[in-house]
Amino acid sequence: MLKAYAKPGLIVGLALALTAVCLVAAGKGQVPISPAEVAGSVLHRLGLDIGPLPSAVQGENALWLVRFPRVVLAVIVGAALGCAGALMQGVFGNPLAEPGVVGVSSGAAVGAAAAIVTGATVAGIWTTAAAAFAGGIVTTLIVYAMSRAQGRTEVVTLVLTGVAVNATAGALLGLLMFMTDDDGVRAIAFWQLGSLAQATWGAVAVAGPCAAAGLIVAGIIARRLDLLALGERPARHLGVDTERLRITAIVVTALLTASAVAFTGIISFVGLVVPHLIRMAVGPGHRVLIPASALGGAVVVVTGDLIARTAIEYQELPLGVLTAVVGGPAFFWLLRRTRARAGGWG
Amino acid sequence: MRAVDVSVSLGGRRVVDGVDLRVDPGEVVALVGPNGAGKSSLLAALAGDLAFAGRIEIGERPLGDWRPVELARRRAVLPQKAALSFPFTVGEVVRMGRAPWHGRPESADDEDAVVEAMRQTETTGFAARPFPALSGGEQARVALARVLAQRTPVLLLDEPTAALDLRHQELVLRTVRERSVAGAAVVVVLHDLGLAAAYADRVYVLAAGRVRAEGPPREIFTAELLGDVYQHEVDVFDHPRTGAPMVVPRR
Repeated sequence: MLKAYAKPGLIVGLALALTAVCLVAAGKGQVPISPAEVAGSVLHRLGLDIGPLPSAVQGENALWLVRFPRVVLAVIVGAALGCAGALMQGVFGNPLAEPGVVGVSSGAAVGAAAAIVTGATVAGIWTTAAAAFAGGIVTTLIVYAMSRAQGRTEVVTLVLTGVAVNATAGALLGLLMFMTDDDGVRAIAFWQLGSLAQATWGAVAVAGPCAAAGLIVAGIIARRLDLLALGERPARHLGVDTERLRITAIVVTALLTASAVAFTGIISFVGLVVPHLIRMAVGPGHRVLIPASALGGAVVVVTGDLIARTAIEYQELPLGVLTAVVGGPAFFWLLRRTRARAGGWG
Repeated sequence: MRAVDVSVSLGGRRVVDGVDLRVDPGEVVALVGPNGAGKSSLLAALAGDLAFAGRIEIGERPLGDWRPVELARRRAVLPQKAALSFPFTVGEVVRMGRAPWHGRPESADDEDAVVEAMRQTETTGFAARPFPALSGGEQARVALARVLAQRTPVLLLDEPTAALDLRHQELVLRTVRERSVAGAAVVVVLHDLGLAAAYADRVYVLAAGRVRAEGPPREIFTAELLGDVYQHEVDVFDHPRTGAPMVVPRR
């Protein structure tokens, strides 16, 4: 009977955990504000006179101008990455598929860097995001076309394709860095490391709707993704228009990755580790996996960003480096596990 | 279900060549023949998995005119090999068979269909176990349970007995037979001629992509035909008790 409550319990638990880390994260910084005051400030803005207001001088400003955009962007980025990972693994039928690992993040980064370097402003504030999306979708399609054989993706092929894509994207980024000026180099370097330091409400306003659209579509196709686990043909025998499902999922993965990457750069391994842990806890059903991975990803990125900016005083660790420090070893472990279970490199 | 002059080419070779096939409700039709005769390719064409020349109709309507989900409510397909990329439990896998009925009145029968299918295939006991942890034969029965749970009037089964022990071979074909008695049209690829003789109403003997013979097993299972088709001499005689034809290779 415990099992029946495990799935809704996990979602509720993750939602509560996310609220808690957000309150703590928004309070931490040069102007310390207690979680109760953070909550009070939010509730007052919503027109509810509940809870205390920040007592510190400049507390309100620190919260609403600096910290909230950053925390909200962290939630968006984390949710987008967690969900994109789960989605990608579902489409590739492979637990090691992840936007960072297979190179979609780097592809999106190339798109965004190209926009930064050329100074293109065709779509105003949306330009970088649009360029990241274009880069993301092109790389996703390349990886997809390269790594599939007979309706499934083998681990080796997928990882090797990722190596090739990452190498190519790295070369293009290097080339773009060579072509641009000092400011451009800094902007691109910031991109490769990944950081939430440049979060603004403007960034939230662009990334938010993209991620939200992606999450909603991911939720809608979750049921059909389960059937895809049976393989291409059996899924079609069960009435899934597999061609359409795959294209939808690929576009959504690229959209989510782009919305995560556009303002923060490459934050890897979130989409790999989070869905895996969720699967271990409640099984692979996508109707739980997708929302839980989004929530879990948000918890990880908000927490990671909190650590990145508070671990060393007056300095900020790049968040992408931090997630890679944790995610890299986790990737080793996953490789071993997958290998052991598949009895080789199936 | 009807197929008229169906041909399938794979890698430039004609693996199915001008086959006519018909299966009516309440009938079990077996496809037999040596390796590479085109049995599985023919079944895949019937399932809509392979491009083909000719005409295939389900319920008087060409295969290509059906939307995938409508088709999934008319016919279920058991693939030769069951694969699963994530460790879903057996219960979840069988329930996937109900997916085509999602959001329709028939989905009220979901629970019923799943329980019945698992009982018939004797898989109820491992409902909570992860599918990849089962043995090959157990996986094959679970895959069949998923297909049965789909409750379609047409069943296309590719070697449902290949990985099974003697008892479960009989169990599976008896279940399939019950389905056809209840009105389903069944096409089943079989390697074991004895099973085909015992459970099929009609048999298509395929060789090199063509139908060499078609009819009730009693009439067409002759030593000459089978010896020629399999390129190995066989003896055919009647079972002393049931009278069903038995095929024994000469050793």
